Amino acid sequence: MWEALEQSSWVQTVAQTGWLYASVSILHYLTFFWCVGSIAVIDLRVLGVAARGRTASELAEVLFPWAWTGFGLAILSGFLMFATDAGDWAPDRVFHVKLLVILLAVVATVLVQVGVPRWDASPTVPTVAKIVAAVSLLLWIGAILSASEIPALEGLG
Amino acid sequence: MYSVLEAFARWLESTWWGTDVRTTIWGYPFIQLIHFSGLSLWLGTNFALDLRLLGLGKKRQTAAQLRNALFAWNWIGFCVVVLGGFLLFSSTATTFILNPAFRWKLGFFVPAALAWHIFVQWKALGWGQTPDTPPVARLAGLTEVVLWLCVITAAVEIPNY
Repeated sequence: MWEALEQSSWVQTVAQTGWLYASVSILHYLTFFWCVGSIAVIDLRVLGVAARGRTASELAEVLFPWAWTGFGLAILSGFLMFATDAGDWAPDRVFHVKLLVILLAVVATVLVQVGVPRWDASPTVPTVAKIVAAVSLLLWIGAILSASEIPALEGLG
Repeated sequence: MYSVLEAFARWLESTWWGTDVRTTIWGYPFIQLIHFSGLSLWLGTNFALDLRLLGLGKKRQTAAQLRNALFAWNWIGFCVVVLGGFLLFSSTATTFILNPAFRWKLGFFVPAALAWHIFVQWKALGWGQTPDTPPVARLAGLTEVVLWLCVITAAVEIPNY
């Protein structure tokens, strides 16, 4: 199955056209920085250490649309890069860890997004809010770390 | 001039931090993590302001308000980027200084983008007083996005040289 994906014509085009592959790669970096950065600022605001001049809801309203746009494009560009070498990426354990951590990070981020309007309603930020925000932040850092570990441990990417 | 740079690069490679990053299994990924985490904060906050100046996204906050809200963590992100970048550079400095993509990145695009960013961040206070931003602000925001895209492009090309 993965070999079939790798061999399909549109994937081959991306893999073999230098500027196209580079563009996909650039898009992946750009969008994940953008996504993680937006979410990080919101998490830091919930934790009470960033942008204290504005409420978490105000920041979330501006930043979450960008976070999810970036996330969607990061998934798309990531999938394209994966597809060009699917046979090597698919069985890789560190890559599996990366995907799992991203999934957990998304869950935590959704919890933050759902929680922010409620948390803003109370006079002080509830402890559970800070825990969820901290977990979200740590998981996204974990996602970046697992991505960095793949070339170091497996020689891929 | 070049031999001074080369001597500096060789010295950096010989330091304890340069050696650790280069030789230990954990060194490079962790330092790359620092560089990328900083970049997430730095570029994330840069683009949030640029997109607001471009007139995209929610307008309840003015660009000036957003600029102020994100200012501290924007520059904290930058410090983290520089720290990570310096450590990465130290690990194999002598090869980096010969790499054309790296030279374009650090020698041209980063200084240009950084200078432009400082200018935009300063002007955003004036441009961003009203919910709608003037055309010059939109152009400035777009230019910043393009410049940082050039930095990322140069960075992505480094392994190819």
